[in-house]
Amino acid sequence: MRFGGRRPSPLAPDPDLIRTLAQLLVENGLTEIEYAVGDRLIRVSRGAPAAAAVTAPTAAPAPPLPGAGASGPVIDPGAVTAPMVGTAYLAPQPGTPTFVRLGETVAAGQPLLIIEAMKVLNEIRAPRAGRIAQILVEDAQPVEYGAVLMLIE
Amino acid sequence: MFEKVLIANRGEIALRIHRACREMGIKTVAVHSTADAGAMNVRLADETVCIGPPPARDSYLNVAAILSAATITGADAVHPGLGFLAENADFAAAVEEHGFVFIGPAPEHIRLMGDKVAAKAAAARLGIPTVPGSSGAVRDPAAAQTAAAALGYPILIKAAAGGGGRGMKVARDRAELAHMLPIAQNEAVSFFGRGEVYLEHYLDRPRHIEVQILGDGQGGVVHLGERDCSLQRSHQKVLEETPSPALNAEERGRIGALAVGAMRTLGYRSAGTLEFLYQDGEFFFIEMNTRLQVEHTISEMVSGVDIVREQLRIADGAPLGYRQAEIRLSGHAIECRINAEDPVSFRPSPGRVTDYHAPGGLGVRVDSALYQGCTVPPYYDSLISKLVIHGKTRNECLMRLRRALEEYVIGGIETTIPLHQRLIDAPEFIDGNYDTHWLERFVGRRG
Repeated sequence: MRFGGRRPSPLAPDPDLIRTLAQLLVENGLTEIEYAVGDRLIRVSRGAPAAAAVTAPTAAPAPPLPGAGASGPVIDPGAVTAPMVGTAYLAPQPGTPTFVRLGETVAAGQPLLIIEAMKVLNEIRAPRAGRIAQILVEDAQPVEYGAVLMLIE
Repeated sequence: MFEKVLIANRGEIALRIHRACREMGIKTVAVHSTADAGAMNVRLADETVCIGPPPARDSYLNVAAILSAATITGADAVHPGLGFLAENADFAAAVEEHGFVFIGPAPEHIRLMGDKVAAKAAAARLGIPTVPGSSGAVRDPAAAQTAAAALGYPILIKAAAGGGGRGMKVARDRAELAHMLPIAQNEAVSFFGRGEVYLEHYLDRPRHIEVQILGDGQGGVVHLGERDCSLQRSHQKVLEETPSPALNAEERGRIGALAVGAMRTLGYRSAGTLEFLYQDGEFFFIEMNTRLQVEHTISEMVSGVDIVREQLRIADGAPLGYRQAEIRLSGHAIECRINAEDPVSFRPSPGRVTDYHAPGGLGVRVDSALYQGCTVPPYYDSLISKLVIHGKTRNECLMRLRRALEEYVIGGIETTIPLHQRLIDAPEFIDGNYDTHWLERFVGRRG
């Protein structure tokens, strides 16, 4: 989704930072290292399919490359995606605590957030049990179909 | 004027509407399915919202998703384009109930013209000639022969519950009618469960002539001349031209004035098209399309009027601001519909466009959302490009069309460009001597 005429600006990779992380990886015999600053996250891994994955958390899935077919981008199996266009709310009502918090463990089927579409509140439930690793939407943020809302580990 | 318009469509027509908006300084919102995330109209839009998975019923026909997208982007108005929800009166009403402007006709006019029987009755009330028919069902040969004598042979026997060309029989004279009537009645029972049939005068070599009109809903109505859309295959238009090679100035003026008068009486707002069958100097109303049409481009080329811009102005409440006498139609224009299809078998040919080069030069317009490396998804209509040519005369237009088709490169998928090349070399086409049945016979020939 793109709003306000702004083009999506993918998180510019910082080559020096990635190089430093890669060195740390090798020096310490690790297979994967994650480095987050604010809402930006860089993951560097060895042996895994992705050598250096850069994600922009609040962005919708990147448009598929031309010719990538209609299957759309590959989504993390723990991703909770928006089943409809609408406005996301993290709390059941204004001023009440959010359904879930970052790091909290949730059961499958537990309510995570609400998407309001056509004045109807649609509860979005956890597709599986796990820990809320990331919350990628803000309260009252518009979301499009397929947008990744949360990640469950 | 609107600040932001949501375009509820895809492909070339979404891009066409985007162009009109941008020229008026209006921001655009593209809604798209996951299959169209990389489409050119989406890439160019100011804002984009993915509204659903590839099947149209879950995305481009998903009223709730489209209205939600309009809400979250703060759009002022919704342009439905053509196809999908463009002639859905309930959608038009829902758009307005949610506080957006629907860029199109009043919902009641969409509803009226969407019902074929009601539309024909309305046309007759508005003084538009319709195909002469029996006033009700005919039951026995004697009654049929009386009715047929009044209508004139040949006679078409149609099932009252029919549609899609089924349950129709042609009778050339009295004897054939007596023979065909019980057969048609039996077929009507077996196809539709009801045996009622009625009679219509049968046009055996009609042309499809349609009149483009613009109304402001405030008394202002003009027409932009006619389009000849007789070249059809399986009821799909293939190539359209204006002016029609078959009409003379008197006929052109007569049908135009008739259409304008009827639309003024109706109080019609926005762009619309009245479709007629034409044979032996007479016009018979078939239906009215209450929306922008694919082939609106050729009327734009000869009139210089941007029809989508006019739709936007009218939806914003502006009067037309010009009269019929100020509409000047000049030269000749032809549109070739280029589909992602095998040019012989007409099998759809979706896939990745590996090479793309559009023709250019004076009098050449290409309305297409294709680009090199884009993918034509398999889920939607196969129309991928409209090659629109303008020339001072029909001959100049044909020569220019020939060279533009030679220039056009669309690699990686099959297209109907070779069909158009074969078609414009046919003597009947060059002479303008064709009816609605001609193209079916032509594509049946191998050449």
